[in-house]
Amino acid sequence: MNVYVCVGSSCHLKGSYDVIKLLKEALATHHLEDKVHLSAAFCLGQCKDGVSVKIDDEIVCSVSQENFEDFFNQRILKHV
Amino acid sequence: MNNLCTDVGYLSINKYGEQLCGDTVDIACQNENSLVLVLADGLGSGVKASILSTLTSKIISTMLANNMTIEDCVTTVVSTLPVCEKRGIAYSTFTIIHVVDNKTAEVIQYDNPHVIYLHNGRNYEYDKINLTIGDKSIYKSKIELSPGDVLVAMSDGAIYAGVGNALNFGWQRTNIIEFLEAVYDDSYSAKMLSSILIDQCSQLYDNIPGDDTTFATIKIRKRKPINLMIGPPSNSNDVNKMMTLFFAKDGKHIVCGGTTSYLAAQYLGKEIHTELDYVDPEIPPISKIEGVELATEGVITINRVLSYAKNYVDDSNCNTQWKLQKDGASLIANLLFEESTDINFYVGKAINPAHQNPELPINFSIKMRLIDELADCLIKMGKRVNVSYF
Repeated sequence: MNVYVCVGSSCHLKGSYDVIKLLKEALATHHLEDKVHLSAAFCLGQCKDGVSVKIDDEIVCSVSQENFEDFFNQRILKHV
Repeated sequence: MNNLCTDVGYLSINKYGEQLCGDTVDIACQNENSLVLVLADGLGSGVKASILSTLTSKIISTMLANNMTIEDCVTTVVSTLPVCEKRGIAYSTFTIIHVVDNKTAEVIQYDNPHVIYLHNGRNYEYDKINLTIGDKSIYKSKIELSPGDVLVAMSDGAIYAGVGNALNFGWQRTNIIEFLEAVYDDSYSAKMLSSILIDQCSQLYDNIPGDDTTFATIKIRKRKPINLMIGPPSNSNDVNKMMTLFFAKDGKHIVCGGTTSYLAAQYLGKEIHTELDYVDPEIPPISKIEGVELATEGVITINRVLSYAKNYVDDSNCNTQWKLQKDGASLIANLLFEESTDINFYVGKAINPAHQNPELPINFSIKMRLIDELADCLIKMGKRVNVSYF
């Protein structure tokens, strides 16, 4: 699975740094570093609803520190 | 034009408790390739010294730049300077460096510590001819310069640094030379060298300078263009035109902004690889595109570059943390402030609708202002700057 976190200006201001940090931690806890390839992406074109995360070919918007656990469980953990 | 340029950078620190500096550096450009730099150190400190040194440096630089002789300059200075009531003399020491065609330096020195000449990062002593003008004993030298050569002029505050405190006899000229040879790096700009020297003096003085201290550095370098593109063009039909012009330019290419990077990658037919690691949590990570020296986020990064630039230009307590940092803004700062001599900006005026959100501190007018201010700072650093809008 390929996961890209947007680090464009808008998403950055809305907390890309935290989302990446949380993702790294969560992947480590679940020992998924080999299965999930995490990288950053420049603007994904969804600037109004940051932070945007692209999972394979699907874009998930409005990821934040607050809804991170839900996002991780629903979108990543379930599909690995 | 000989594809060379003279990079000049100077910094002063004031005597402890003084608001004005008694040392003045004045630069007069004769033409594109020739300039006169005067470093004058006025008698005493504070207002009086500042007036004396300002008059001296301004008179000499203006007269020499207009091809008058050094004898005329000195006579004019002597008969113009106001006489100090307390001491009954009018007095300001000075160092003049006249660079002609970026190839020859005529150095004229009166009572300041002698100019240090570095060739390939090593100190070279040069011949000096002693002249007497009026009652003043003046040293005159002619130095043939090659690219990479450095001349460092200083006021006597430099050699008094640390007297009786850190050092018994102060930071003597030979000590300064040893220090310079040790820290010297080919990549340092004139301003960086001055700033390293001033920092060292400040430390030796334990941050309480006993005298006004100034370093003025001249470095001969090859011209080096750098091109920076930020923002897509306002008319999307102009993308190809903007890219073609941008990539046709000599020198390294920097691309700022997510959308802009995508367009550039598309134009080059390459992929973007965005790094995941935040070197600095406040600055978005950089990206790699084959054929582009550096790709970064736009407004936030440039905003940081601008704050580095303002500090570098204005502040005497020069903060050069960016020299060693590896985040996008620091990398751009290094390329623009240190490496380049000519900078071409390609600014796209497209408006990103997402940035018009009043909650976000990044709207269109801010982007335009950032580039204007950055260009101003770069011009103050002595760079040739060219801005094109699309």
